[in-house]
Amino acid sequence: MTHPTVCADRLTKRFGDREAVSALSFSVSRGRAFGLLGPNGSGKTTTIRLLNGLLTPDDGSVALFGEPVTARNADALRQRIGVQTDTNLYETLSARENLRIWGALYGIDRSALAGRVDEVLETFGLSVRADSLAGEFSKGMRQKLAIGRAILHEPELLFLDEPTAGLDPEAAAELISYLKQMIQVSNTTVVISTHQLAGLELLCDDIGIIKQGHLLAAGPVEELLQRQWPGNRYSVSVDGGQGEARRIAASLATVEDAAEGEFTFGADDDSTVSEVVAALVGAGVGVRAVIPLHPTIEDFYFTTLDKEVAA
Amino acid sequence: MTTQTHTRPSVGRRSPIGWQRVAAVMRKDWLEVVRNKQLLSSLVAVPVVFAVVFPVAIILLGGSGILTSTIAGLQGFLDHFPAGVVPADYTTEQVVVYAVIVYFFAPFFLLIPVMTASITASSSLVGEKERRTIEGLLYTPLSNRELVLAKVLGSVIPAVVLTWASFVIYTVLVGVLGAPMMGGIFFPTWTWAVLIVLLVPLVSFLATSMIVAVSGRSTTMQGAQGTSMFVVFPVLALVIGQATGVMLFNVVVALVVAVVLAVLDVLAFVLVVAKFQREQIVTKL
Repeated sequence: MTHPTVCADRLTKRFGDREAVSALSFSVSRGRAFGLLGPNGSGKTTTIRLLNGLLTPDDGSVALFGEPVTARNADALRQRIGVQTDTNLYETLSARENLRIWGALYGIDRSALAGRVDEVLETFGLSVRADSLAGEFSKGMRQKLAIGRAILHEPELLFLDEPTAGLDPEAAAELISYLKQMIQVSNTTVVISTHQLAGLELLCDDIGIIKQGHLLAAGPVEELLQRQWPGNRYSVSVDGGQGEARRIAASLATVEDAAEGEFTFGADDDSTVSEVVAALVGAGVGVRAVIPLHPTIEDFYFTTLDKEVAA
Repeated sequence: MTTQTHTRPSVGRRSPIGWQRVAAVMRKDWLEVVRNKQLLSSLVAVPVVFAVVFPVAIILLGGSGILTSTIAGLQGFLDHFPAGVVPADYTTEQVVVYAVIVYFFAPFFLLIPVMTASITASSSLVGEKERRTIEGLLYTPLSNRELVLAKVLGSVIPAVVLTWASFVIYTVLVGVLGAPMMGGIFFPTWTWAVLIVLLVPLVSFLATSMIVAVSGRSTTMQGAQGTSMFVVFPVLALVIGQATGVMLFNVVVALVVAVVLAVLDVLAFVLVVAKFQREQIVTKL
């Protein structure tokens, strides 16, 4: 039987009267990327600390690689894990020294360490600054070094806490692409905690949305999006006001959002789209564009949070 | 960025104490100390005073009244200095130099490692909290025992090395400057051998362990350094004991203190490891 790499079961953590994480349950299978999404203060960092055995849950349990995490085995399990958080680097040490120390902490053989450090520096474009002090680095370079430190020992499970924070869009896209490639090549399991959602569907197979310690939704991305928006959705831009156009479309399909000059509707098949457009044109409404919409993780995130607020 | 296809680097088997991990943390701490000029100068200042300034002044000024009135407690120490522990044929001037170099300054060489270790230990663990680097370490496979051991040894070893180096300088200065005046080599003695070889490492270990023990709760280096006062006080008691003639620091006293310190060291280390809570450190960042 294959165990999930990460399994949180009714995970609960209280700090005094405040419940930081409340009955959180989710699992991540090997070689998959799980996005733990939520606003600031939602309990993401506490969850990562609980999963790594830095905090002891008040209720519930964590299992990694099929083993329940206890005080006795947490250190050994961490050998197989890489973690990047917003913790600082050693600023009076060079990039190379930061990596070498981390490699030694993870027990990488001395003979292999120098080569591996060079490889990571090369991967993150830091080779030319390898011997510069980390304290002299820009925020983006520090972020790359912190991620390099986490992947140095090629962990089976990688936790990334806001990995794209401080990176320019190009570097963020490169990182996502690198991680995707790493998952494919090494079958690494990745748990990424972030509130920067753009482009996340390129990386994440599964997501969990957390707010105030409660998991609002969790599961495979495609499944969640399909459940939320069954069928296809289209955005229609029309000339003039959308009132008349919306009324016509609503008689043929399910109209969702509407704004000045455009509206969105859902349709199970393409023939409905043709019918809507024909009806609009027939009624003298100028149709400027019909664009099929592909819902994103970002759409799902905001919809889920809105639903929670409404509830 | 490209992922290179190769096998994972070989990772060693896990033993009860991973010395490679311990050494890595120690090496990191030492690099940080060496690159912190302010910290480095405060580490060197105390040994220079005790190992260079004081002995040179004592030997050059000899038994003059200037010296005994300048150093607090020295006159009282000389007044209470028992007969028979100084070679009988020494002049008054030679007795003063012998008594001060061999006996009066002995406990001060216990202050060097305590002060040195308290500076490096507080900078090491509480400093990591202040600089927000500690959480990264806590996510690694370092066990609590390894982390505590690395932090303790990382401070004890430099403290001991610095004190031993101070002792060598002290011995050379006393030999070179004092021998002509004293009619030959009179230093070091067996008491000093016990003090340097046994007491210095043991007292350093105790001071460092105590600082590491409170580091989980302390949020400032100064707060943690204050804890080392609990070790400084007994050492000062030795100084005062000498000054008042209550207890002269000899081989027997040094060996008894060594045994007591060894027991306290073991207890302190076991307690520190048992009480070391990652959760407490992480939640108080």
